[in-house]
Amino acid sequence: MNHPTDAGTLVVDSVRGPAFVQDGGRAGFMHHAVPPGGAMIPERLAASNRSIGNAWNAPAIELFGGISLHGTGSSTIVSLDGEPHVLGPGEVFAVLPSHEVSARYLAVAGGFDVPRRLGGYGTLVSVALGGFDGRSLRRGDVLSVSPHGRRAVRVMSASLEPARSIRVLAGPDVARFAPDALDWLTGTTFTVTATTDRIGARLDGPACTRIDADDGASSPMVRGAIEVPAEGHPIVLGPDHPTTGGYPVIAVVVRADHGAFAARRPGASVRFASVRLVEARAAWRELAHRWFQVETVSDGP
Amino acid sequence: MITRRHSRSEPAGRSSEVSWRCELRPLGDGALRFSVPSGVDARVLLDALRATPGVLDAVVTERHASVCFDEAVPDLEAVIAATVSAGRPPEGRLHTIRVRYDGLDLDAIAEVTGLGRAGVIAVHTGVVYTVRSLGFMPGFAYLGDLPTALRLPRRASPRARVPAGSVAIAGSRTAVYPAESPGGWHVMGLALDFVAFDSTRGATLQLGERVRFEAAP
Repeated sequence: MNHPTDAGTLVVDSVRGPAFVQDGGRAGFMHHAVPPGGAMIPERLAASNRSIGNAWNAPAIELFGGISLHGTGSSTIVSLDGEPHVLGPGEVFAVLPSHEVSARYLAVAGGFDVPRRLGGYGTLVSVALGGFDGRSLRRGDVLSVSPHGRRAVRVMSASLEPARSIRVLAGPDVARFAPDALDWLTGTTFTVTATTDRIGARLDGPACTRIDADDGASSPMVRGAIEVPAEGHPIVLGPDHPTTGGYPVIAVVVRADHGAFAARRPGASVRFASVRLVEARAAWRELAHRWFQVETVSDGP
Repeated sequence: MITRRHSRSEPAGRSSEVSWRCELRPLGDGALRFSVPSGVDARVLLDALRATPGVLDAVVTERHASVCFDEAVPDLEAVIAATVSAGRPPEGRLHTIRVRYDGLDLDAIAEVTGLGRAGVIAVHTGVVYTVRSLGFMPGFAYLGDLPTALRLPRRASPRARVPAGSVAIAGSRTAVYPAESPGGWHVMGLALDFVAFDSTRGATLQLGERVRFEAAP
C-alpha cells in the first residue's frame, strides 16, 4: 500500500508509565561517561521502523506502559512493533501495555524530529540529554515528525523466544570468583526483579559466594555485563549503564541477546548459557545483517 | 610492566606478550578490556585507543582500559606497547572552579579530620588535581589526589539525592556532581558558575586535565 503524507505532529493524549524517544544509540562518547544507550529491544525498534520505510535506528517511542496519541497531519503512518497503521486526521491511536515484553516500540513514518545530541537522538534521563526534552513523555506533549516521502509499508516481526536461555561469554573477572561460580550462573533459574530499568536489571535467586571483597576501584563497563556485588545477586547492565563500575564481572550477555534479555519483564525467569566467542560473533553477525543494516528511506512509486 | 621497546616488525609471537602481561580479555563479544600498564599516561592511552582503526569507543580507568568495536576486532598490541614508551603529554588544561563551601557534610568532615572548617577548605583548595578517570554518570570526573588529611571512607549510607553541582570527597578522590543524583560521597559545598556536562559539548573535565578549587567569598 502506498499512502501520501505530510509531516504533521503527534500529540500525546495520555500516557501511563515511562515513555521515551529512543533510537539505535550514540557510540563514541563513553570517554565522556555517556553510555551508547539505544533501544532496550533493538530488533523490535528495527521491525517497527523498517515496516514503515524508516532507517532501522530512526527515533521512535519506547513504551514501558501505555500511550494514546493522535496525529495532526491529514494522514499519519505509525507502526507498533512492526504492524503499520494509517491514522486519519485527529484519529486517536491507543497502545495498551504489553503483558509479554518489557517495552513496545511506536515508530512514525519519517521518524520523530528531535534534536541530535552527542551523535544520537535518544533520551538519557540522568542528565536530561536528548530525546524529547531529555525526559519521559507527558500528556499534551507535541512530537514533531520529520518530513518524508511516499513509502511502502509491510508487516515485520522480530521474535523473542521468552523461554530461551540467554547466551553469555565468561567475563574478565571470572577468576575473582570460586571455581564453581560459572556453574552457579548457568545452573540457576533467576527471576527478574522489579528493580529493573534502562540502567540495569537486578536478578533474584540463590546468591553467589564471592571469594574477595569489593575494593572500590572502578573498571570500564558495557551493556550486558553481569556484575556481582558482595551480597551475591547479579546485576545485568542495560543500555543506560554507568560507563564504569566497581563490582567484578562474571560474564557478559552476548550482543545478539541484549534485546531478548531486556524484553524479560519483572517476574520473568532467566537462565544463562555459556557460549564461545566464535558463536557469539556469528550470532551477532546474523542478527545485525537481518535487522541493523544502514538503510536509506525507501520511497514507494 | 613492559620494559623493552616494541616495534611493529616484531613477529606476532612476541607481541602476544603484551596481551598476556596486560590481561587483554573479551568484555562480551563487542569489547576488549586490559590492565593499564604502569607508567602509561592515561590521556596518551585514551587518545591512542580512540585513534585505532575499528574502535568505536574507548574508556580508560585507573586500573583497566576498554575498547568497543562492531565487527572487526581492533589490533591493540602495538598501540598499547607504543604508549609504554611514549613521552609525557603537555600539561592538561587547568580549570578553576569557585566553590561555596557550605555543604551538608562540611561540619562533620571538619570534626572527624580535626581540621576545622577553615582547615578543611584550605586543604581542599591547596592542591591542583588531575582528572584520573570519568565514570558513574556523564561528566563525572574523578579528581586526584586528595591530600591524606582529607581522606575519608564513603558515607555509610548514600543519599538518595545530592544536588547538581555538589563538590564532594571520598577516599583519595574529589568530584563535582554534574546533575542531581544519588551519592555516597561527603558533600563539602556547591560549585558556582560551573557546568560539568553540556548536551552539545559533553563532559567539561576531560582525562588528564587539571582542576583547582577556589573558595567563593
